[in-house]
Amino acid sequence: MDLLDRRFLFVVGKGGVGKTTVATALAVEASRREKKVLLAMVNCKERVSQLLGTDPIGSKIVNLRENLDAVNMTPDAALEEYGLMILKVRAVYNAVFGSRLVRAFLKGTPGLEAWSMLGKAFYHASPPRGEPDYDLVILDAPATGHALDMLRVPFVIESVAPPGILRRDAARAVELFRDPVQAGAVVVTLPEYMPVSETLELTKALTEELKIPVLQLVINRVLTVLFVEKERSVLESLPAELPENTDIRGLAVAGKRRVLRETVQHRAIRRVRGHIEAPCSELPYLNGLETDPDAINMLSKALQNRE
Amino acid sequence: MSLADVLDSHRVVVTVGSGGVGKTTTAAAMAVHAAMEGRKVLCLTIDPARRLANSLGLDEMTTSEQDVPRALFQRYGLECKGALSAMMLDTKRTFDGLVEKYASDEEARNRILNNQIYQYVASSLAGTQEYMAMEKLHEVRKDEQWDLVVLDTPPTSHAIDFLTAPERLIDAIDSPAMRWFLQVFEGAGKAGFGLVGRSATVLLKGIGKITGLEFLEKVAEFVSGINEMFGGFKDRAEQVSDALRSPEVAFVLVTSPAPLAIGEARYFSDKLQDAGMNREAVVVNQVHSLIEEPRLSAAEQVTALREVLPEAIDAADLQPRLEQALRDERRWAIADRTEVERLSSQIGQDTRIVEVPAFDEDVHDIAALAKVAFYLTSTVQA
Repeated sequence: MDLLDRRFLFVVGKGGVGKTTVATALAVEASRREKKVLLAMVNCKERVSQLLGTDPIGSKIVNLRENLDAVNMTPDAALEEYGLMILKVRAVYNAVFGSRLVRAFLKGTPGLEAWSMLGKAFYHASPPRGEPDYDLVILDAPATGHALDMLRVPFVIESVAPPGILRRDAARAVELFRDPVQAGAVVVTLPEYMPVSETLELTKALTEELKIPVLQLVINRVLTVLFVEKERSVLESLPAELPENTDIRGLAVAGKRRVLRETVQHRAIRRVRGHIEAPCSELPYLNGLETDPDAINMLSKALQNRE
Repeated sequence: MSLADVLDSHRVVVTVGSGGVGKTTTAAAMAVHAAMEGRKVLCLTIDPARRLANSLGLDEMTTSEQDVPRALFQRYGLECKGALSAMMLDTKRTFDGLVEKYASDEEARNRILNNQIYQYVASSLAGTQEYMAMEKLHEVRKDEQWDLVVLDTPPTSHAIDFLTAPERLIDAIDSPAMRWFLQVFEGAGKAGFGLVGRSATVLLKGIGKITGLEFLEKVAEFVSGINEMFGGFKDRAEQVSDALRSPEVAFVLVTSPAPLAIGEARYFSDKLQDAGMNREAVVVNQVHSLIEEPRLSAAEQVTALREVLPEAIDAADLQPRLEQALRDERRWAIADRTEVERLSSQIGQDTRIVEVPAFDEDVHDIAALAKVAFYLTSTVQA
């Protein structure tokens, strides 16, 4: 079953690994397959508009290109929408939410802000009745720790809250998030030791604690491997073996550095793939070309190669 | 002041920064340095990913102190004249400790500790972790056992969250909304909705429609429980808030040379300064250094390479790839230099910027940490 045939995808990973880039590339590819896609960000300094060359994306859903909408959710706006969806009538909503006190109360209620955003994204993929607004919702999640805090909320509500609309929605969300046919996580990492360690911890929390399936692993910024095995050992010791006055020291130093980088990368990839069973895509190092308009198309293609 | 002086003249050093910039490594390296220099150091992390353990040769970080054995230093030819311990913050236990300290009696204490909302707030609520890190900072600052505590903080996407964590938690509990809610709800609970104001009833029912009334009951129990110990709690938050600004506490900003990270570092830096906290240094990790360029044509390079390479390796075949490696290194070095200079022109006048070069290999043992420490504390910049 194809990754993009799901209803809800979480793109998760450590800060700075390229979650937004991957989420955008997936959204672009899904929209190209004529799925109606919502790319949802969580109250962040959004960079999607920069990647796709569009106007900045705010807390109202905007259309970016054919079949692709995006939103940068804020707790206030999401809570308002969630409240409206439940209370249905604007006048009733205004009576309740118009009160500054009620708003402040809801803001102060633990977890409700996180749930309002996650819940909004969830409603777009799976409303309580009727057809969903989107075929696929891609959530560009916050960095590791904060993502887990957020994803835990519906699970906590399900176990803590007494029966009611909140509990019902949380239970539906939990059911969807745990169903590998409908939803799951795309885990993004870098081919280095520490990022891989954190990825393994994150994956454990997702699959063992929350029981959210990991559908795909993405290793971002993979360097082109320049040297073969027999060259490596030679290049590693080359700078030390050169005579004092040589004009190729720089070349030798660059060779050694690259060999060591490639070794680190190789070990990291082997380690992360050894622990995570999901299909894996490797994305090339782009050398700061991430904002190039063609880059996203190229990455979309690269994400299709799964082993 | 070099970073070595900063470590020497403070009791607490806090690393802050966004994710993926080597913050934990920097914290660990500073702790390793101070311990080698003869101080008794506690390296405290609240990172749930427990990355620090990897670097310090521990199986995993635990919520009780673990000593990093001297033998581990010796194994890498290093000498530790002081002592190094590592510990991971237990957010829930720290919070429980606060409740135990400030609850009026045992019954009140148990009511809070057993409340499900509390349990969620204390263990999982975003922001609690930041607050408890600050709380812990306040506690260890007074602990005579340590000469220096290095506190690694969770990656923060919003600097403000971190700096205002104590105030925010207090605000959430003590807001007019919460007080109103408690009043209305307790009134309603005792006498039914009939006796409270009609408008309040409408509002309460409105909220109840979303959350369920029983949920509101639990929130009310939680809020009233916390309210009871509010006086103590508020004083504590003020103490913590003051502690952050104490001259004993130094903040070290950590960033990488990536444009996004540099931008955030600058933002953090302003916020720290506005908040009156001691921003002592900015560490830029993983800076690629320029490599000497060969002053030879490609053909001459092949000839020169042939002289030093074993016969099994074809110099003509290898040379273009070496050139590509050099080209990549050069591009990274130039991009990094540009970013560091941008940062320097923006905040360099009043803050020391410390560069740590990108290493060929991952930093994941104590020798590598000592090497990072060397660059961190060196007075001459690479």
